[in-house]
Amino acid sequence: MSKATLDGKAIPLQDACREAARILGGATFPVIAGLGADVAGARAAILLAEQLRGAFDHLASREILADLDVMRSFSMFTTTPNEARVRADVLLFVGPGLSALWPGMLERLAPGQPPRHGAQAGHPRRVFWIGPEANEAANIPATVIPASCDELSELLAMLRARVGGRPVAGDDARRTGIDELADVLKNAHFGVVVWSASSGIDPLAIEMLQAMVADLNVTTRCTGVPIGARAGAAGVTQTAGWMTGFPPRTGFGRGYPEHDPWRFEAKRLVESGEADAALWISAYDGEAPPWSNNDLPLITLSPAGKEPGRGLYIEVGKPGVTHDAVEFAQEIGSLALRKSHAPTGAPSVAQIIDAIATELRGEVSC
Amino acid sequence: MLTVLRGGHVVDPANGRDAIGDVWFRDGHIVAPPPGGKADEEIDVSGHVVMAGAIDIHSHIAGGNVNTARLLLPELHRAIRARLAGTPLSTAKWSTFETGRLYAQMGFTTVVEPAMAPHASLQTHLELNDVPIIDKGALTVLGNDDFLLRMLRKGEAESAVNDYVALTVGNTRSLGLKCINPGGCEAFKENLRVFGLDDEVPFYGLTSRQIFQALQKSTQAVGIHHPLHLHMNNLGIAGNIDTAIDTIDAAQGLPLHLAHVQFYAYGKEGKNAFSSAGARFAEKINANPHVSVDVGQVMFSDTVTISSDVLKQFNSLPGGMPKKGAIFDGDANGGGVVPYAYKISNFYNAIQWAAGLELFLLINNPEQVYFTTDHPNGGPFTTYPDLFALLMSADLRARIMARLPAEALEHTILPSITREYTLYEIAQMSRSGAAKLFGFTDRGQLAPGAIADIAVYRPGKDIAGMFRRAAFVFKDGDLVVRDGAVTHYKRGRTLNIRPRYDSNITTRLDAYYDELYGLPRSIFDLPDAALPHNDAFAEVACRK
Ligand SMILES: [Zn+2]
Repeated sequence: MSKATLDGKAIPLQDACREAARILGGATFPVIAGLGADVAGARAAILLAEQLRGAFDHLASREILADLDVMRSFSMFTTTPNEARVRADVLLFVGPGLSALWPGMLERLAPGQPPRHGAQAGHPRRVFWIGPEANEAANIPATVIPASCDELSELLAMLRARVGGRPVAGDDARRTGIDELADVLKNAHFGVVVWSASSGIDPLAIEMLQAMVADLNVTTRCTGVPIGARAGAAGVTQTAGWMTGFPPRTGFGRGYPEHDPWRFEAKRLVESGEADAALWISAYDGEAPPWSNNDLPLITLSPAGKEPGRGLYIEVGKPGVTHDAVEFAQEIGSLALRKSHAPTGAPSVAQIIDAIATELRGEVSC
Repeated sequence: MLTVLRGGHVVDPANGRDAIGDVWFRDGHIVAPPPGGKADEEIDVSGHVVMAGAIDIHSHIAGGNVNTARLLLPELHRAIRARLAGTPLSTAKWSTFETGRLYAQMGFTTVVEPAMAPHASLQTHLELNDVPIIDKGALTVLGNDDFLLRMLRKGEAESAVNDYVALTVGNTRSLGLKCINPGGCEAFKENLRVFGLDDEVPFYGLTSRQIFQALQKSTQAVGIHHPLHLHMNNLGIAGNIDTAIDTIDAAQGLPLHLAHVQFYAYGKEGKNAFSSAGARFAEKINANPHVSVDVGQVMFSDTVTISSDVLKQFNSLPGGMPKKGAIFDGDANGGGVVPYAYKISNFYNAIQWAAGLELFLLINNPEQVYFTTDHPNGGPFTTYPDLFALLMSADLRARIMARLPAEALEHTILPSITREYTLYEIAQMSRSGAAKLFGFTDRGQLAPGAIADIAVYRPGKDIAGMFRRAAFVFKDGDLVVRDGAVTHYKRGRTLNIRPRYDSNITTRLDAYYDELYGLPRSIFDLPDAALPHNDAFAEVACRK
């Protein structure tokens, strides 16, 4: 059973879907935002955005685009977490909070175990961590190079320079650490760098890191494992990619997709008044919208207990928790089906959007 | 409903038809003309050519690497026009939806995605599921996977390898096996930058030759119709004709399909040390009827190269146009995506173009050579109509040759080739032969019992135009294209086979994933529940 409310007052689910259809169907340029959903939810949301000639954005687009921009303006070397686990002889973690962003990281990458394949099979890995949070690297055999998030770009620029044999300025203690790391990377057989755009790391630092990886590949092998952003971001990005050719922040105002990270940012669309209705989806954790405009007609899809006081609310289940869901599985670096382990019967994002779309076509449903 | 297409020029090589006649169908299948029967619907197709729906045997339309290309190159696929009603996202360039629309408009009703990584098969199938109208299929990639290489290193019984192959093809819901630079991607992880047929994979003591031969045998043993689909070593390198010839010699007389052979038809002659070896290659193929090939024709265009041959793609990165790319070391093969522009004024590109056409025109049997551009590697699939026109018109070829760098023409025999494909030969290559290559008995032909996948073309001076905009296309008897435009979507199926195996292999594989990855093997599964529709698949019978 699902719950729906209008300005805090309970209404039947079918009325809620009809009201949602009325709001979205009546809007000139609605935005489907948040998009914290599984693949099926993203797929339904994108089809709806296209049908409405609106736009779609993800709540973690900033992080999604930080990685994508490096790839589409420069290049990107990546591998799977499992290939890193079995082959990496050097692991370099970059930035703070990685183990919180990916709770299974240390179990999966197994820095304390030797690699299984390749030239260094059976030999202990070398592990480095630039700028971890305090104690984050305490339980792994890592050489820590302390740095604040703001210093990462500069340190990575130094590291890249040293990998390329170019001299750098800077204090001696830090330079010694960087020199050692540069040396280890150059002599690694299969080095792997691990980062997350969600750690607060500057996009320039990601570019610096990938530029260094590219440099290293001139003579040896090195690659990277990015940690995907929250709320299903990586799976949503893949889905948007095959459906429209583009990542989130894409609009359909002209009847075909146009991708523009500035123009189709949901917060900007709402605050500028360009969008005149919003469907906000945050099925994973019920995050609130980032905009300050409170007069906009708003429909919220989020899990139980995350009901906003205002606008139309429809409860949805949590993907992979209350219902089976396909999502990006960080531990394998690709899409997988997550079986529910606490089913509640709450509808999925896809089910609710399909119901809204059916109402929009004037058919009976919900 | 009984429908008849009246008075068209029916070109159906599977049944030896090449004459004016009628085609009848009912409830999605071709039927014999009912005695004294009257159709509920009669469509006059006089003056038109009627063929079965075309089958593309090798086109990269889905999966993680294809999606990386989309995300890498937003500037290369900006949409320009709104879609027609009833066809959501059909003008979103490079999207799965546009792919279905464009294929259907050309009269294609079945397309095979040739490079599905076993550990990412779910995404490939989700993407294929979002290609509307047409039926799809995929090939599963093996040959750089540790489990197989370990088995071969240990010299395990062929039956064990067969079980592994059958299980992997079955679980990933594909039509057979592809092998991409066998061992070469594993070698690249160990920093080898070139990898030939007889080079050894580090730490496995196996050569590319041994790996592909083992998979070639297994493919036959477990009853997979499609011969092992091989992407050979040394793609794109001057002088690689020797690799191709050696590979054919290594084929043990067993069926073998060589992918995008144009990229291996290079000699080392001339001052640029780059020449077409298409003629020598074609002669070899003619002498080896158990070998089939697709061409991977280069068509002058801005495109992107997408390949699971990571070693080759890494080497291509410095020549990327624009200069960027993505290199992915996967659990086995991985992939590389590098944009590229084939230019008519470029000597090397001109040789590539000519080498591909030499192969088409010098291989005698149209059911042994398949038109592909290795979409998008040699050019997008939307250039097929132009390619068919080139094959059918020596005059058109001459007009293009006049624009090539003069020195390129010194290193190809293309100017001396006068052969022109007939419509019948085009249909052999794109319909009857393609169906045989995959063991499809229900398509690629117009005999009663076949599914009513039918393309009707209006011939004219502009051969490419005829193939680009079919006058009518029926998918399962449903009229989906009229005057070159898709009228509505329907859902196609993904075709797959289920070869049999001894279930002991599952226990062994479970233990392997557990021990190496500390993960349940089931995380890589492709359960029906993961796909939006429970009728997404249709099974094709294995060879007895
Ligand atoms: Zn290919």
